[in-house]
Amino acid sequence: MRQRSLIAITAALAAGALTLTACGSRDDNGGGSDSGNGDTTVVIGVDAPLTGDLSALGLGIKNSVDLATKIANKEKYVEGVTFKIEALDDQGQASVGQQNATKLVANKDVLGVVGPLNSSVGESMQKVFDSAKLVEVSPANTNPALTQGVNWQTKKERPYKSYFRTATTDAIQGPFAAQYVFNEAKKKKVFVIDDKKTYGAGLAATFTAEFKELGGQVVGTEHINPESKDFSAVATKVKNSGADVVYYGGEYPQAGPLSKQIKEAGAKIPLVGGDGIYSADFIKLSGAAGTGDLATSVGAPVESLPSAKEFVANYKAEGYKEAYEAYGGYSYDSAWAIIEAVKKVVEDNDGKLPDDARAKVVDAMQNVSFDGVTGKVSFDEFGDATNKQLTVYTVKGGDWATVKSGTFTG
Amino acid sequence: MSGIGPVEPDGDTRPLDPPPVAPRPRGGPRTRMTRRHRGAAAAAFLTVAALTAGTLLYVTRPRPGPPPEPRFPSQTTSFRYLYMQVRDTDARPREFEFTIQTFTESDAPVTVLGISQPYAGLSLISRPETPLRVKGGGSRKIAVTVRVADCGKVPRNAGLPFLDVTLRNTRAKEAHSYILGACYARDLSRALEEACGNEIR
Repeated sequence: MRQRSLIAITAALAAGALTLTACGSRDDNGGGSDSGNGDTTVVIGVDAPLTGDLSALGLGIKNSVDLATKIANKEKYVEGVTFKIEALDDQGQASVGQQNATKLVANKDVLGVVGPLNSSVGESMQKVFDSAKLVEVSPANTNPALTQGVNWQTKKERPYKSYFRTATTDAIQGPFAAQYVFNEAKKKKVFVIDDKKTYGAGLAATFTAEFKELGGQVVGTEHINPESKDFSAVATKVKNSGADVVYYGGEYPQAGPLSKQIKEAGAKIPLVGGDGIYSADFIKLSGAAGTGDLATSVGAPVESLPSAKEFVANYKAEGYKEAYEAYGGYSYDSAWAIIEAVKKVVEDNDGKLPDDARAKVVDAMQNVSFDGVTGKVSFDEFGDATNKQLTVYTVKGGDWATVKSGTFTG
Repeated sequence: MSGIGPVEPDGDTRPLDPPPVAPRPRGGPRTRMTRRHRGAAAAAFLTVAALTAGTLLYVTRPRPGPPPEPRFPSQTTSFRYLYMQVRDTDARPREFEFTIQTFTESDAPVTVLGISQPYAGLSLISRPETPLRVKGGGSRKIAVTVRVADCGKVPRNAGLPFLDVTLRNTRAKEAHSYILGACYARDLSRALEEACGNEIR
């Protein structure tokens, strides 16, 4: 590489000298800086937990959105537009998320928001964004009600036109886990635990319903306090229940210690969770006892997708300190969906942003379709991702290993 | 675009001004060159330099990389449930049939090596039999006969039953589950109910 640069420089100098000698002038290729694209700045907001227990996932989201804007700027993907991000920390709390939504709405340069991580936070932000006609694309919210309404099991009804997501819903994730646990892991007696939050309780419910339908037995249920790290009482109940598997609806800061304490109580059975526990931090928190625990997560493993190779390489090249984690690819695709929508709006308006750009971006988002990091990215009539893949992972050798992938085609 | 700039003069073909006469250096003997000779030598040198540089650039130019690897077969193949046909419920062995359609997105053909399902009480036979080839960008209908061996080991009302498929293309052989959706789940439950009656768990 170095040698080639040297040759190129020599060649350039020689040819440059000849040009100067020959005509005494040089071609003016327009000059200007190669950074920055134009006069209009479009801000993509990011809302995620950037501090606290869930920050590993949140920072992966933020960095991945940042990467998407850098690539778009470098490629001058939308002529005349430079993208920037404004990242706000919701600390995983619904009330903070709502304040952040208000703050992002107030910034007129914000034409789209990526986030949040937690379904409960997403729920608190939806109305604020929808009233301002500001598009929101979550890479991680999985609660079905966010797109299909609270009565999604009986009558699907989209509550907010401005809300989209690239993640698959728990309406699929819970049953997917149940199918795997019952049919393939051959576990018949489950103890179900959740953290009482929108995501955790919802996921536990969809798992439980399918597990029972398959013929499995629920031998116990418990709710934990997410503020606590002492789950010894619950662990003892699990031990005494005779369960051969634990299903946990919640996130890794609690799931890690819970898994560890269940094994310490004498129940050497796997803990199974959803995408909320699919993090390297779960493995750290559960320790060696976590080997054999399972998680389902949305999408195919990013590393297995040829389309993701470039993302992984670019992420590495940018030198972000934190890993892209479970939602990196989905966050990049969420940001790119906003970039695509902005591009469409600008191109439809003679290369400029219209006055009602936010509303136009919401409309354009519905028809966005491109090959992203995670596969084909587009949205159905509810704002859900049309790409509905899920994967089962297990803790093996101190890392997550892929067990099985499935695609929802119904 | 190299960014080097034009080698030939662009629009201005006036002869170059002669270079200023260099002061005669002091010292020993030297070959006497006329202005014309010096100009020709300089032009020859620059031409050779430009040609050498061009050749080097050509030889060391970035070559197009190898073609991208084809995607994994599960990423280019889709299965859709079409309909269920329940046969005579008194017949033995107890069986029913459903039809699915498989599609491949890319130009690369995919071979379906096997179709199965995870329930212990059921076995499947497909028509056409596996392995079956689906050409790139094409689709095929597959009729799947489900034989019920043990009603005690079938799901009563699975919400999202899997269909497990083994696929192969030039990239990989891969086992993948397809979740065919609510219609398949409902029709499967009905068919099992008819086949097993009260024997179902």
